Amino acid sequence: MPILTRKEEWDRCGLSNSAEVKKIAIVGLPNTGKSQVFNNLTGTYTLVANYPLTTVEIKKTECLINGQSYEVIDTPGLHCLYIHSEEELQVRDMIFSEKPDVIIQCIDANQLKQSLTLTADLLELEIPMVISLNAIDETAKKGIWIDSGGLSRALGIPVIESIAVNGIGTNQLKAAISKARIGKWSVKYGEIIDTGMSAIVPQLPEDVWFKQKAAVLLLLDDPFLADYLTKKYGVEKIAQLTEQVNRVKKQFRGNIAHTVNNTRIRWMDELAENTTRRQRIEPNQFATGFARLSRHPVFGIPILLMILFIMYLLVVNVANVIAGWMDQALWAPVEAKIDSFVTIGWLNEFLIGDYGILSLGLANAFLTIMPILSVFFIAFNILEDVGYIPNLCVLTKRIFDKLGLSGSAIMPLILGFGCKTMATLTTKSLKSKKERYIAIYLIAFAIPCAAQMALNMSILGRMGVRAFVIAFSTLVIVEIVAGVALNKILKEEERSDFLQELPAIRLPNPKAVIIKTYYRLWWFIKEAVPVFIYAAVAMFVIDKIGLLNATKNALEPVMTRFIGLPLEMVDALIMCMARHEAAAGMIIKLIESGKLNYVQCIIAVTITTMFVPCFANIVAMIKQLGAKRALSMAVIINASSFLIAGLLNWLLVGVFKL
Amino acid sequence: MNHKREKDEHIERLYYMKEKETDSTDALKTAMNGNMDFGLIDELSSEDMIKLSADGSKIKLTKKGADYGRQIIRAHRLAERLLYDVLGGDFESGACEFEHIVTPELVDSICILLGHPKLCPHGTPIPEGQCCRRSAKTAHSSVIPLSELKIGQSARIAYVNCKSDQQLHKINGLHLRPGVTATLHQKYPTFVVECEGSNIAMDEQIASSICVWKGLDPL
Repeated sequence: MPILTRKEEWDRCGLSNSAEVKKIAIVGLPNTGKSQVFNNLTGTYTLVANYPLTTVEIKKTECLINGQSYEVIDTPGLHCLYIHSEEELQVRDMIFSEKPDVIIQCIDANQLKQSLTLTADLLELEIPMVISLNAIDETAKKGIWIDSGGLSRALGIPVIESIAVNGIGTNQLKAAISKARIGKWSVKYGEIIDTGMSAIVPQLPEDVWFKQKAAVLLLLDDPFLADYLTKKYGVEKIAQLTEQVNRVKKQFRGNIAHTVNNTRIRWMDELAENTTRRQRIEPNQFATGFARLSRHPVFGIPILLMILFIMYLLVVNVANVIAGWMDQALWAPVEAKIDSFVTIGWLNEFLIGDYGILSLGLANAFLTIMPILSVFFIAFNILEDVGYIPNLCVLTKRIFDKLGLSGSAIMPLILGFGCKTMATLTTKSLKSKKERYIAIYLIAFAIPCAAQMALNMSILGRMGVRAFVIAFSTLVIVEIVAGVALNKILKEEERSDFLQELPAIRLPNPKAVIIKTYYRLWWFIKEAVPVFIYAAVAMFVIDKIGLLNATKNALEPVMTRFIGLPLEMVDALIMCMARHEAAAGMIIKLIESGKLNYVQCIIAVTITTMFVPCFANIVAMIKQLGAKRALSMAVIINASSFLIAGLLNWLLVGVFKL
Repeated sequence: MNHKREKDEHIERLYYMKEKETDSTDALKTAMNGNMDFGLIDELSSEDMIKLSADGSKIKLTKKGADYGRQIIRAHRLAERLLYDVLGGDFESGACEFEHIVTPELVDSICILLGHPKLCPHGTPIPEGQCCRRSAKTAHSSVIPLSELKIGQSARIAYVNCKSDQQLHKINGLHLRPGVTATLHQKYPTFVVECEGSNIAMDEQIASSICVWKGLDPL
């Protein structure tokens, strides 16, 4: 075997030096609770959910664990170190460049075998490791028993059982970090490959870490690594290396990837076999039954509609009532007081006028929007925790096929119903440019994010279920037409495969749901409320200098005649550019003062849902597409949203006589 | 007939040369590692399998020779594929665990294809199988695409036909690989397969590239 560079390095540095900050990288398959473990270890909060792709960017934070400072790194999901997507490459690059001092591999106990592929890869890196075996309660319920002690002995590293969502096992994990050690990896790939690797290792440039792993990856034809080495060291410097790699490949007549894979598979099977016992009869579980029904071709759609309807009822009958009460009980008296005390005209208007910082800013944010979001987020977070949402990609597969989105583009689009910005970032994993463009367009266009959905329900709920159905059917049709059109316009590329792991359906964990709702609201207060206030001030100023009226006059023909909305809706559209929630607050005020009728209400919701994606989403679009294409996309989206609103107005008023 | 193996070897090499578009006798010499048999060359030439140029420096297959070569190469490469894909491709150790891996159905199929042979190459008797008693003439495919399973049916994966190594790694990463049992849960709107405790949604193209043993009860 070649010289173990990593081990030597370890001995030289010594593990005991506690003054320096050590790095812990949390890695694992998608949806194995990495972010949850990150939250448990660091005491911070990153968004967690029961589905893959929740984390798209690497996140770092420093914290103190048992008196030692650590930098803890949370990463997107990774299947193995032989890479198939950009996010995965990002994680591998992080490991290769940051050289973490400890790796925590998160393993979902339900999928021990699947995770061992990555374990094998990580063991080859010879970095001290700990395994966090999550969701151990679920395997027990399924009648599966994992011998974590045996696993630990076989791998030579600590294996800590945990139920991460409840924080159980966190202290043991913290204690185990200092006991992390380089695991046992004694698998042989056969003489030619093993001696071949020993011949390749000395040819690698001196400062390459993980030489052993690099040698295997080169033999496996890893495209990224070869490119990286060529770029960094130049073709000449690695010529000998390439030659050596080719020599080994030639010498080995079969397919190296097959042989290496098969050797590891044997190792994994044996290990899993020796450490897992399952009872013969699998208990019938409510969760698996529900999972199957929720993606069933017949029952799936009614279940989806029912879930939507329940959320609608919650928003209309609970959230709207709370918001109305808060407005009456908390805001009305304050407003009256201010009105009687502040007699200076402009100041009164600045505080509580149409564009006052208290009325349009604070009261709007805290008393109108917050209650609606709180109720909706509880329901939505339950859905996320259950793992329901990814099942939609099964139900909607055929529709997406027609939209020119095959395979891997479906999940990002579905995630758009949670947060459009995150969804746009996940399109990074799409290889086809055409699919990426269509996906980003469709996410930005007519998909309402969770907050938008909540507010749409709240607004339309004031007009009845039919209004909600009309508005959402319109959005669905718009999305389909846009997809089909883009598919026709953009030139054909190879379609990607659709291969998506679905998370196991779980019963929601109340604590996790409450914590998540708390954080979502906290982020709303932190990020959105200041924007509400700035926007109110800006509106106040442009109103005072007459710019607002000029704009309204200019837009008059389009707004009132074509779209059929009152001119006050211009305010809402301007607010939309700052924050969609702020616009919703204005629309609610317009409804309350009787300025929007049934049809106008539907149109107002449709246009604000489509109009300018939020600022964060535009930033994400620029990141994915470049400024020019992202901004032109935003312009096209805005133009079409006006056009569609006009068309809808004509249909509802002119044709259906509503 | 007793030179068949050697003859075949020569034709095989010439076929490779044809693929590489060379026809010099020297190239054949190198390819045969000096084991070139001139007697055989004459014999092949008289059988109208190969054609030598007047000065003997060029050599190539005739139409008949090329057709024959094509058959050998086909068999050779199919065997390679069999060893490689179905039987796990353990080239290096040379250990082929054929009898441990194939199913009775596949053995029957092979038996039918071989015309129910009675003796093995060493001359010891081959035990009779179901198919021999029925003197079956047509072999049924024992491997079908996963997409053709009935809903709720389980089957063991035989091999995965992949268009690229990348795709193979992706499918492998989800533990859809030879030897494991997969259960088909639904076909519409898209395929959902359960394997090793996880549910995986996939399109028809991938579902039909995963081949499973037919009619084999999982444990």
